[in-house]
Amino acid sequence: MRIGIMSFAHLHAEAYIENLRAIPEVEMIGIADEDVDRGRLYAEQFDAHLFPDYAAMLATKPDAVLVCSENTRHRPLVEMAAAAGVHVLCEKPLATTAEDASAMIAACEKAGVMLMTAFPMRFSAPLQQLKAQINQGNLGKIYCLNTVNQGQIPLDYRPWFVDPELSGGGALIDHIVHLADVMRWSFGCEVTSVYAQANQIMYPEEVSTNAAGLSIVYAEEVAVETAGLAMLTFENGVFATIDCSWTKPLNYPTWGGLSLEMISERGLTIVDAFKQNLNVFTENPIGHSWAYWGSDANQAMIEEFVAAIKENREPAVTARDGQIGLDITLAAYESVRTGQPVSL
Amino acid sequence: MMDKQLRIGLIGTGAMGQTHAHAWDQTAANLCGIVSRSEETAQTLARQYDATVYESLDSMLPHIDVLDICTPTDLHHEMALAAAAAGVHVVCEKPLARTAKHAQEMIDVCDAAGVKLLVAQVVRFFPEYALAQKKIASGDIGDVAVIRLKRGSSQPVGENKWFLDQEKSGGMILDLMIHDFDFARWLGGEVETVFAKSVRQENPEAEVDHALAILTHKNGVISHIEGSWAYPPPLFRTQIEVAGSNGFIQHDSDKTAATAMYFHESKTVEAPSVPLPSSPLHEDPYTTQIKAFYQHLQHDEPLRVSAADGLAALKIGLAALQSARTGLPVNIREMESVS
Repeated sequence: MRIGIMSFAHLHAEAYIENLRAIPEVEMIGIADEDVDRGRLYAEQFDAHLFPDYAAMLATKPDAVLVCSENTRHRPLVEMAAAAGVHVLCEKPLATTAEDASAMIAACEKAGVMLMTAFPMRFSAPLQQLKAQINQGNLGKIYCLNTVNQGQIPLDYRPWFVDPELSGGGALIDHIVHLADVMRWSFGCEVTSVYAQANQIMYPEEVSTNAAGLSIVYAEEVAVETAGLAMLTFENGVFATIDCSWTKPLNYPTWGGLSLEMISERGLTIVDAFKQNLNVFTENPIGHSWAYWGSDANQAMIEEFVAAIKENREPAVTARDGQIGLDITLAAYESVRTGQPVSL
Repeated sequence: MMDKQLRIGLIGTGAMGQTHAHAWDQTAANLCGIVSRSEETAQTLARQYDATVYESLDSMLPHIDVLDICTPTDLHHEMALAAAAAGVHVVCEKPLARTAKHAQEMIDVCDAAGVKLLVAQVVRFFPEYALAQKKIASGDIGDVAVIRLKRGSSQPVGENKWFLDQEKSGGMILDLMIHDFDFARWLGGEVETVFAKSVRQENPEAEVDHALAILTHKNGVISHIEGSWAYPPPLFRTQIEVAGSNGFIQHDSDKTAATAMYFHESKTVEAPSVPLPSSPLHEDPYTTQIKAFYQHLQHDEPLRVSAADGLAALKIGLAALQSARTGLPVNIREMESVS
C-alpha cells in the first residue's frame, strides 16, 4: 500500500512518517509541501522523497495520503485527494468552519474514498482501558469529569498555530477536540451544551522563537487565545470540564499531557494518558525531561487507517467524528463570545 | 506593661471546635469558656483546657473578650450579633454565614459595635498555599492567567448530619469549595462570573457531591475550581496549579505526602466524621491561623484575611450554587438573591 504525506505543517507529521514506515505492508512514498523550505527541511530530516507539488504526488496514484497542512488548509488538500480517488487521513481539527467540514465530507463521499479524522487518543492504551471499564459497568453510573489537555504553546515547532488565518484559533481549536472525542467515544453519547471562557494573558503579543531544526527566528504576533476552560454537558447527564490551555512552560519536562479524573457511583478514577515516562536528568545541557515508554497511540491509529483501507470498511474514527468535534469547538467559541452556554 | 490576658469563649465543639481549642491552648490567650449542645464533649474539653462550661452563649459572654464560633454555618449570624452586642470580638469559622445578607449584617454590626470580626479561611494559613501566594504575588510567574484548584474528601457527617443539610451548610459548594473560591480570589482578584455544575443538582439520587466551577475574574483571569465530597475515605486531596505569563506553579498533595505507610492487616478504614487535610508539619495550619488571630486581636498585627474576604468568598459560593441550579452563568453583582 502506497501512502504519502501532504504537507508537514502540523508537527504530528513527524510522528506519522515514522509510523507509516513501521508498517511492513506500507510504502511511505514521500512528502509534498507547498512551503518549499519546509518540504525540503523535513524531506532531508526524514530522508524522504520530496515531490515538487501535491499534484505530482497524486499523479503517482497512491492508495492514500495523510493531510497534515495548517488547520484552515485541510479542505483544499482533502478535495484534491478525493478528486484523485485517494483515501485520506486528515489531521485534527478536521476543519475550522462547519462549511469546510461538510464540503470535505461531501467530496470524499462523492469520490467514494475514506476520510478518517486523526484522533489518536482513541488508541491510547490507558484511555482504552478506561472505556473498557466503563463498558463493563465496573465504574457504575458516571457523574462528572475534570479533564485536562494542556500543552506548551506550539510556537516552538510551527508558528502558524498562533496565526488565526491558518489555525482558525488558539488553545480552544487546538485542544478541545481530543477530550471531547474521547468522552463521546467512551460514553457512546453526544454533547448537548458547551460553556467556555478564554483569555490571552500568557503570550499577550509578539513572541520570538526558534523553530525546531531551523535557523530562522520567528517573531510571531500571537493573535489567538492561549488559555481556555470549557464545560460540556452530555446527553446522559454527565458534565465535564476541559482545560485546553497552553499553560506548560517551555522548560516543562514534556510537551504537555492529557488526563482526566472521573467521579462515578463507585468512586474516583484517575487516568493520565502520558504518565508512563522515565525521568531523565542531564548535566550538559542542564535539563530534566520525561521519556515516554507507554504504547504508541499514533502507531495504532495509522495501523487502523491502513487496516480499514485494506478491509474496505469504515475506520474506527470517521469524518463525522471529526465534524462533531469541530461543532463542539465552534460552540465553545460562540460561548466565549456571548458568555452563555451554547446548545448543540 | 503586660497586656491583659485575652479570654476566649468557644461555642461549638465538633471537629473544628476541638481543633480551635487545641490551637488557642498554644497561644497566650486563656480558653476559659465553652458552650456546646454536647454536654459530654464540652465537659471533656473543659477538663482538658481548664475552662468553664456555660449553659448558654448569653451566660458566657460577660466572661470573655473573644467568641470563637465553630457551630453550623446557619447559626453564625445570630451568635456573632449577640457577641457584638456584648462588646465581644468574634472569630468565625468559614463560611462567614449562610447568606450574603447575614454576612454583610455581621460585618456592619461588628463594625458599629467596635469589635473585630475574623473569619477562619484557614487555607490562607496552609504553608503550601501561603507560599504559592507569596511567590505569585512577588511576580515569579508573571501575570496570572489560569488558576486550577482542587479539594476533595469523603462526605463529612458532623452532628445530625448538618453538613448535608443544604439549609444549614449550603452543602459541599459552600462549605468546602469556599476555601478555593477564597484562594482563587486571593490570587486572581475579584470574580465577576461563575459557571458551575454539581452532582447534587444533576443526580440528586447520588449519595455524594462533586462540583466543577469556572470563574472569570475582573482582570480576565480564568479559574477552574473542583470540589468533592465523593471520594472514598480516607482520601483527602488538594491541588494548586497556577499558570502565568512567565511560568507555572504546581502543588499536588498526592505527590507531597511526606510519609506513607502500608500495613499488612486489612482493617476496615473508618471514615472520619469531618475529614481534614494534613501533612506532617511542626505546627498545624489551624494553630498557625489561631496564633495569627491572637496577634491581631492582642497586638493589632496585620492579618492576611478580612471579614470582607469571607463575604466575597461566600458570594462566589452562592453564585456557584445559583449557577448549578439554573444552568446559567451568574454575574456576582447581578446575583438574583444574595439574601
